[in-house]
Amino acid sequence: MTVKKKSVDTSKLAIEYSRYYQGKMQTIPKVPVTSLDDFSIWYTPGVAAVSLAVAKDPDLSFEYTNRWNMLCILTDGSRVLGLGDIGPEGSLPVMEGKALIYKYLGGVDAIPIPISAHEPEQIIEFAVNIEPAFGAIHLEDIASPKCFQILEELKKRLTIPVWHDDQQGTAGVILAGLYNSLILTNRKLKDSKIVLMGAGAANIAAAKLMMSAGATPGNIILVDSKGILQPEREDMDKMMLQNKWKYELALSTNAERREGGVDEAVEGADALIAASKPGPNILSKSTLRKMNKDAILFALSNPVPEIWPKDAKEAGVRIVATGRSDFPNQVNNSLIFPSVIRGVLDVKSKAVPDEVIIAAAKELAEYAEQQGTLTDQHILPTMMDWEIYPLVASAVGEACVKMGISRIKLSKPQIRGRAEEIIRKTQKMINALQKSNLIEPTSRVSLERNRRARR
Amino acid sequence: MPKKSTKLKSEDSGTMQSKQQGESNPGLVIREIRKDETTRAAQLVARLKRLNGEFDPLLKTTDSLESEAQRTIEKATSNEASLVLVALSGAKVVGVVKADLKDRTFYEPRREGAIDEFYILPEYRRGSLGRDLLSAMGEMLKKKGAELITAEFPSQNEIAKRFYTKLGFRSLTNVYAKAES
Repeated sequence: MTVKKKSVDTSKLAIEYSRYYQGKMQTIPKVPVTSLDDFSIWYTPGVAAVSLAVAKDPDLSFEYTNRWNMLCILTDGSRVLGLGDIGPEGSLPVMEGKALIYKYLGGVDAIPIPISAHEPEQIIEFAVNIEPAFGAIHLEDIASPKCFQILEELKKRLTIPVWHDDQQGTAGVILAGLYNSLILTNRKLKDSKIVLMGAGAANIAAAKLMMSAGATPGNIILVDSKGILQPEREDMDKMMLQNKWKYELALSTNAERREGGVDEAVEGADALIAASKPGPNILSKSTLRKMNKDAILFALSNPVPEIWPKDAKEAGVRIVATGRSDFPNQVNNSLIFPSVIRGVLDVKSKAVPDEVIIAAAKELAEYAEQQGTLTDQHILPTMMDWEIYPLVASAVGEACVKMGISRIKLSKPQIRGRAEEIIRKTQKMINALQKSNLIEPTSRVSLERNRRARR
Repeated sequence: MPKKSTKLKSEDSGTMQSKQQGESNPGLVIREIRKDETTRAAQLVARLKRLNGEFDPLLKTTDSLESEAQRTIEKATSNEASLVLVALSGAKVVGVVKADLKDRTFYEPRREGAIDEFYILPEYRRGSLGRDLLSAMGEMLKKKGAELITAEFPSQNEIAKRFYTKLGFRSLTNVYAKAES
């Protein structure tokens, strides 16, 4: 119950802080301005020469402007966190938060852009039209299944990376956690029987990424609210018309042609990835007991996992991960997205295909192993492990270079060095602003509150 | 609303014969339906009707869908002027097509083979089974004297439109509908 109390407090503080600071992000210059004369260089007439050069070779926009570090956080606010369709304005505080994480952990200049458009075609057109200003686009909190169509289409039409965090970010971190869970339980991805409960953006993307990474499609079983996905389910035709991504998985997974619900699906399964609905009673102990010995469970629903970790352990599950930071093994997108975007920006990549996400997941997984900290209670690094960001960025950049989708060629150590420098400099800048009180400490907020109370 | 695509038999009979089902769909057999297969075939017809329902609210299926589908298939199997073919994977019915032979009153060519049921299970759609099943039906209808093959499907069904167009059919008549409430 401490959890509930804590969340009430953070809600109250968040409102109070938001009112005080009036937003979380702002823009500041990166060039010196000592007198108004400087503007003849930064702006007209000097800037015309730069513009002409870029007009001649648009790729120079990645060299002569801040485009190389600019990320568009694009949303229609149709599926925000656990809040649902709260509209573009409603999503803005969340997008600002994401931009803050990007800046702090990845040194990325991210701009929140919630738009009032709902049709997939409108969102696609918007992204295509705004491409010239950005080095990458991050799609956030867009409802399933339109998010699949938007990502698929933008991948084809854009020459900058497009990232949908609810798909690729979640899938990437799930894969990283799974890699280490498999090492700990002495299994191979190819031979593992994996059940995914919930067939929304996260699990559909996770299933696809696992297959790209070498999992055997027939060994994977997806379960949605209507039961196990299999090619002869009565709603297959409807699915074909409304969610072809899920339909494709129904055709390619579940070689045994199992039918029924989650109980039938997990019989003899090695791993269960649940991203369905908030628990704690969505999964039962008796269900989990049907799994193989040394079972792996990721219960990822927020704010409450499908089953409490303690109960899962009592049911014999060996490795339990959740989406929460107050339990061991947090499967958290924030471990992936800042570094993936840092990496693709640093090599000026044109895309971020599955291979790149797999490289990120591997690097993230290997970090925990190399630190010698790989245990059942620690399958993934945490956000405190600052080094993972430049490290994973370097794996991402290297994969892009190898695939021939980067605009420049750098070696892995070069990318790591560059990423480290950018992130360190950013954090130094933030610290300097805080030290000089240009970013005020939160204690000011309570002082202000008390001052008002006395009046 | 349901739309009829049509094809003159002479246009493409060569292609039909060249499609040997065994060759492009290993393990799949196409033949006339047998008595003990009507229940399974009717289930596929019911699926087809539910799929149609996804395209238009005026094609919403009734509660008696299953039994009507059963009745339709049984009637067709005992009727000289109807043809029902099934596609089998082993002993399992994975596809069904039904057509009726009709005389057109006012137009030529007169003898029409009208396909009104056509369904293949999702996992068997990737190969050439659809094409093979259709050409097998075309051949049999031709043998029974059909000079024109038509097929009916919901107007909004773009997949069917592409399928028939690719195989040489074109839109012939349109059925427009308006619900009076």
